[in-house]
Order: sequence, then C-alpha cells, then structure tokens
Amino acid sequence: MTEINASPNMNSSGYEMPPEMRQNIAITTLDKIWNMGRRYSVWPMMFGLACCAIEMICTAASRYDLARFGMEVMRPSPRQSDLMIVSGTVTKKMIPQIVRLYNQMPEPKYVLAMGACASGGGPFKEGYNVVSGVDKYIPVDVYVPGCPPTPQALLHGLMKLQEKIDSESITSVRWYQKEAIEAIPVPILGPDIIDPRDFPTIKSLTQGKPAAAEPAAETA
Amino acid sequence: MYGLGILKGMWVTLTHFVDTFVDDLRWLGRRYYTPEGIAHRSSKDSRGIFTVQYPEEKLPVPEEFRYIPFLIYDIDENGEHQDRCTSCGICAKVCPPQCIWIVRTEDPETKRPVPEPVEFFIDIDICMNCGYCSEYCPFQAIRMDHDYELSSFDRHAEHIFNKERLSKPAAYYNEIRPVNFAIDEAERAEKAAKKAGN
Repeated sequence: MTEINASPNMNSSGYEMPPEMRQNIAITTLDKIWNMGRRYSVWPMMFGLACCAIEMICTAASRYDLARFGMEVMRPSPRQSDLMIVSGTVTKKMIPQIVRLYNQMPEPKYVLAMGACASGGGPFKEGYNVVSGVDKYIPVDVYVPGCPPTPQALLHGLMKLQEKIDSESITSVRWYQKEAIEAIPVPILGPDIIDPRDFPTIKSLTQGKPAAAEPAAETA
Repeated sequence: MYGLGILKGMWVTLTHFVDTFVDDLRWLGRRYYTPEGIAHRSSKDSRGIFTVQYPEEKLPVPEEFRYIPFLIYDIDENGEHQDRCTSCGICAKVCPPQCIWIVRTEDPETKRPVPEPVEFFIDIDICMNCGYCSEYCPFQAIRMDHDYELSSFDRHAEHIFNKERLSKPAAYYNEIRPVNFAIDEAERAEKAAKKAGN
C-alpha cells in the first residue's frame, strides 16, 4: 500500500530558524501556498455515467464525506469545476459530450478515470458501442482501478490527484504558458465514432493515397 | 390521515440524529481514530451516523471482499519461492473481460512444458473483480486480494501487473482470508494424500 502525505509540510527545507519562532513563522514558496489553495478546493463536476457513479455519490455523502478534502462542491456546470470524475462506462454515444464538457472546463482542469470501464474499457473493451478507455480522447491524470472502486479506493485516487497538484509549479504549468491551449476536437458520432484527429488517415485509406500527401491535394 | 408518513420519516431521521450523539458520548474519545472505534462503528451494534475518516482509519473489509487477484507462492525448505501456478491457463480462459495474459515456457532440452509461468500479466484497469479466476483455479494459486489502494498516474506503466507484482506468499493469504485459507489447505492436503496413495 502506498503512503500518501495527507497534509503537506508547508516549510521549505534548508532554512535555520530559532526554535521559539518555529510555531509562528513559516518560510515557504509561492508554489506551495498556491498548491495548497488548489489542493483543498478541487471541485468535481457533477455527472455520472454508470454504476461507478453510485460509488461516487456514496463517497460524496456523509459516510465518506468528500468535504474533508474540500471537494464537496459538486458543480453542475463545467465552467465552475476543476475535476472531471469519469465515473463509469464511456459509450461512443457519450464521448462527444464528455470531450465537449472537458473543453468547456477552465484551466486548471484534471480528469480522474474511475473504474475499469473509464480507464481501459473494462469488460466492454472490445465492445461495438464502448470507448475502450476515456484516455483515447482526453488526457487522464489519475486512474482508479476497480469494478467499481470502493469509496475508499476513490478517495485514494483523489488523494493521488492532490499529490499531483502538489508537484506542479506556477512557472511550468501549461495554462500559464504563452502558447494557447488547443481544444480537443469533439469526436463525431456516425455509424461509428470518428475522431477528427484521424481524418488524414481515414482519407488516405478511403482514397488510397498516403497520408503525407494530403495537404498538397487540398490546395490543388 | 395525510402526512403521517412524513412524520414517521422525520421521526426516523430524528432518532438517527439523537443516536449519533448518544453513541458519541458513550464512546467518548474512542469513537474516532481507534481500531476498536471503527470496528464498533461498522458493526451492527453501532447507533447513529458517522464518517469514515479514510486516510487515518480504514473500514475493515469483510473476508470475502475482492479486488484485484494475486498469485500465491509457497516457500519451500530451501527458502525458494515455489509458484502454485502451473500456467494451465484456465483463469485466462474463464476471465470475462480477458485481462489475464500468461507466458508459458518449455524446457530447452526436453521440449516439455514447464509447469510454471514465465510471465503472468493482469491488466488491473480491465479486471472487473468478479473472482472467476480464483473460483476456477484447480491449484489454489490465484486468489482475490483485499488491497484497493492502487490508483496511479500512468495506466500502462503501473497498472499492468506482472508476475513479480502479483506474487504474494501463502502467509499473506492466510492473513487476509483465514477461513478460505483453511479450506484451501485441507483441499491441498487431501490432493497430496491421494497423489501419495497412487
């Protein structure tokens, strides 16, 4: 079992302090304060997809009480949420909506794949109607195995996420870089699901041309 | 009379509310963060409602609780690990989501199969914790674990368990499932006696 530091030590190491001042003064970095504020206010998005959602509801309820981690505010709007708990089977019909919701979430945003279906497809991994793992479309930060994960397993995953938040630095996070963050193209549901990122490959397959020659063919 | 059901429901809620404080007072100071406290709270004698303070205290899991399977090895008199698994592949065949992958081997000289897997993979992000593998295993080699704290950042690097990660000693099995272990040991002893008789 892995040990997780539930409350991080705020003090930076390497500074000598008189013992009588240790209770009153903390020498820390901006990163640590920033991360502490974020790790105790991760607001999950209120949506559930399948049976894992029942365990998620149980985790949020009084018995396991997400509020102890500052995560009790389940937001029904992607604009106000930081964390997407993909709780359950992601069907091909649902993935366009999930990607759209992910795009609508403001940075910083995290994704937690809860359970076997969301992480890798689970028992439906070769099914005709199920996406085998939500990480095929959106970047996943924490994977929680289990079918379904017990509330305690989910809490462990959420604490792992807090650990990840702790490891980030204000200077290197992607949402403060100059380059704009590209939205993930929303998959199109037809007879089967189509990822717009696969268009060149699909075109080359259907027209019998190599994928590299595609831009030249478009300009002509 | 209308509204009687609502009153009854409110009464139930009120008793839960009061019982919580009664239990808190009766177990003053010992209800939270102590092993006997959590054992009492999860027993049927517990009154009122409570929160499991998860990272500090964990709800005791029942013996038949199952999560990810693990492989059992015995330690022989030389201190070497003897896998119970013979790589027969029955678990991989019955696995509903097909998350088990076994690599078999053969003796390089005699070309006969070695009854031990070279590698044994379980993709724990596919595993649906059904327990069929342990139910069908004829050698009592694969059993369901109680460890649920397995979440990680990288699925492909950390969530495809190999033989080394899956293997656990028989003593561990005895520790988490004493009743099942006794049943298994009796079965194994019976089988060994039968073999010796032949």
